[in-house]
Amino acid sequence: MNAPNSFIFQAVVRLIFFLINIFAVYLLQRGHNWPGGGFIAGLATAISLILLSLGIGLKSLHRIMKIDPARIAFTGLTIAVLIGVAPVLFGHAFLEHFSVHFQSPILGEVHIGTALLFDSGVYLVVVGIAAKIIFVLAKSTQGLGGLVREEQRRYSSVRERPIEEDAPDEQMEPESRERKQ
Amino acid sequence: MQIETAILVGILFGCATYMILQTSFVRILFGFVILSNAANLLVLSMSGDPTGKSAPIVRDPNALMVDPLPQALILTAIVIGFGMTAYLVLLLYRLFLDQKTTNAAEMYAETEQEH
Amino acid sequence: MNWTIAPTILPILTALICLVWGQPRRARRVLVAASATLQLAVALFLVVKTYGGEAFVVGLGNWSSGLGIILVIDLLSAIMIALSTLIALASIIYGYFEMSRKVEHPLRLPLVQFLVAGINLSFSTGDLFNLFVAFEIMLIASYALLTLEADDWDIKHAFPYFAINLVGSTLFICGAGMAYALFGSLNFAEISVRAAEMSADPRVLALALLFLVIFGIKAGLFPLYFWLPNSYPTLPAPLAALYAGMLTKVGVYVLLRFFGTVMPHDLHFAHQLLAWLAGATMLLAVIGAISRNFIRGILSFHILSQIGFMVLAIGFFTPLSIAASIFYIVHHIVVKASLFLIGGVALCLNRSDNLNRMGNLWRDFPFLGILFLCQALSLAGLPPLSGFWGKYLIVVAGLDQQAYVLVGISIIASVLTLFSMLKIWNAAFWHTSDEVTVASGDKRARPMTAVVAVLASISLFIGLGAELFFSISKKAAEQTLDQSRYIELVRSYPGKGTGDR
Repeated sequence: MNAPNSFIFQAVVRLIFFLINIFAVYLLQRGHNWPGGGFIAGLATAISLILLSLGIGLKSLHRIMKIDPARIAFTGLTIAVLIGVAPVLFGHAFLEHFSVHFQSPILGEVHIGTALLFDSGVYLVVVGIAAKIIFVLAKSTQGLGGLVREEQRRYSSVRERPIEEDAPDEQMEPESRERKQ
Repeated sequence: MQIETAILVGILFGCATYMILQTSFVRILFGFVILSNAANLLVLSMSGDPTGKSAPIVRDPNALMVDPLPQALILTAIVIGFGMTAYLVLLLYRLFLDQKTTNAAEMYAETEQEH
Repeated sequence: MNWTIAPTILPILTALICLVWGQPRRARRVLVAASATLQLAVALFLVVKTYGGEAFVVGLGNWSSGLGIILVIDLLSAIMIALSTLIALASIIYGYFEMSRKVEHPLRLPLVQFLVAGINLSFSTGDLFNLFVAFEIMLIASYALLTLEADDWDIKHAFPYFAINLVGSTLFICGAGMAYALFGSLNFAEISVRAAEMSADPRVLALALLFLVIFGIKAGLFPLYFWLPNSYPTLPAPLAALYAGMLTKVGVYVLLRFFGTVMPHDLHFAHQLLAWLAGATMLLAVIGAISRNFIRGILSFHILSQIGFMVLAIGFFTPLSIAASIFYIVHHIVVKASLFLIGGVALCLNRSDNLNRMGNLWRDFPFLGILFLCQALSLAGLPPLSGFWGKYLIVVAGLDQQAYVLVGISIIASVLTLFSMLKIWNAAFWHTSDEVTVASGDKRARPMTAVVAVLASISLFIGLGAELFFSISKKAAEQTLDQSRYIELVRSYPGKGTGDR
């Protein structure tokens, strides 16, 4: 996705990006007792990333993000699984959660528990996977390679071609691609 | 409300089946999307009529609560359906690139001779 | 520490370490092999413990059975977990020898581990919706593996596999929702209590038939098997062995669990239907096998035909026949996986697995020939190999039920199995031709054959020690059919909210 030539759109997208993410954090932390939680917060953040990619273009977003979204997802899944396994090591059940409830001077009543950590893991998984899916699809319909060069080395075997190899920016021509074998 | 939901679920299942049985990739894709939505709606309607029931945690007999479990099931099903749809889109796209057609009937036409 | 979750969580942790840590591939391979060995050790530990009468129960998040998801491992689950980890270990090691580090797809090992996690979770779960989730973990990993290294022809056949399983999953969601509406619970034990109270209700039978369709799709029963024989042969040999050994057997296991433990035992119509569908499956699939002309294609049809035997035994539904079915599953998983691996070695030696272009294998690799003969005859059911005992028990159970037609069909299917196995033997091993070259210098062949030899010796051991394995299966069958024990087991789990039920 190339950046559109509209100043207003770009400016608004940058503003909205932060607003959505603040809302996402709100959704994440209230998920313990109220509607909300890691999944919906992750979707919100993923949407903000997609909007940003529409605003400033996928290439510059890649430059800013530096990290592969799939890696975010792996990290999140690791966090979630470890939070699930940790109680087992102390003789409790898998996925058992613990929480504390106390009065603090500034925040007032605070209710915090391991479920929030688990939810953050879920949040990262959803952000990573949703962003990855959308980016790969967006790039492949643009005639770009679905994966960037480092990713190709990481994710594709020697026998496999990338989803679309070195297609030029103009319209793709399936006929011109040579078939394997 | 139950009857209307049942009819709607039936219509959705019918449309989905019809679309999946078409040969065009795009229709197959939409067929599967509708199918998963129909299933979700069906499960949603399984929580039934809320009158006279109470949630296991809230012990207030006057609180009118819909059974939340089917909604939790649907949430799981939606997440899985999301992943499935993404996979299906990419699979169909890859099929289009490899087979150079968006028609399933064409794609399988000469399969029999290959083996 | 509670071991119930270990068979599921160990593969997931391994896969995650592979994904996050990524690069040094040799270390990764060692890690995955070590973890697979550990999983097998844990699974054998579970078998020994559960054979002694123990059972492992845990509620996720420590919620009691009425409120949360319960995982239960009894003897049948433990046996299945042991088999799945065994086949996974064999296929991983075989894959190391078959494919060099540089060519291997970096996502293959993590995906195999996720697949094993899904399989083990579906064996250990005691909750209908959790079973759906386990199926999805398993299926998503299997879709990805199926298309990971696929070429044009492969990907074309991955699509029907995906489509039919997606429909199956959707039906499963609907079925789970309806079961919840009907019984008010998704817990196997609670469902079984309530279904027993209302077993005369036609809705119970209708629901059982819906689940028969759903699990029939997974297992590959008669009208629902057309996706399997085309998609499995597109896989590389070690993965094909894992798929052939485990994926369809998950369907059979769930049928056993569902009709044995969950549903009331007087659904005679469903049992009859199962038996006849199984009969049709074994006959039609074995005829399909004869029509194929390449090894993996023939073997893929044989999976279905053998599924027929197991499900037939479930359909007879006596304690003896259930035990026979479990014994047959044990025998079949080992034999079928090793046959696929032998096919892989033959493919590697002949550079083709089309029977017209094979030959000379007996002349140049007699040891492989002996292994093949051993496993093929076991599949066909010749004494004293393991297949004979399985089939013998099923035939005895069938004659007890006076189901002469079905027993006759099963014997015809066995003879045809022998015929199509001899077809492979004649064309690939016995046939000598100057046009076919055998790549004797291929260094991969010997270690790959060694892996197969280990599996074959296990299967030989099952055949010679049939007494021991049958006593284990008998005990597993008793535990599976003993609904009150299962209910007691699940209900006595001391979780949060025990008093609230």
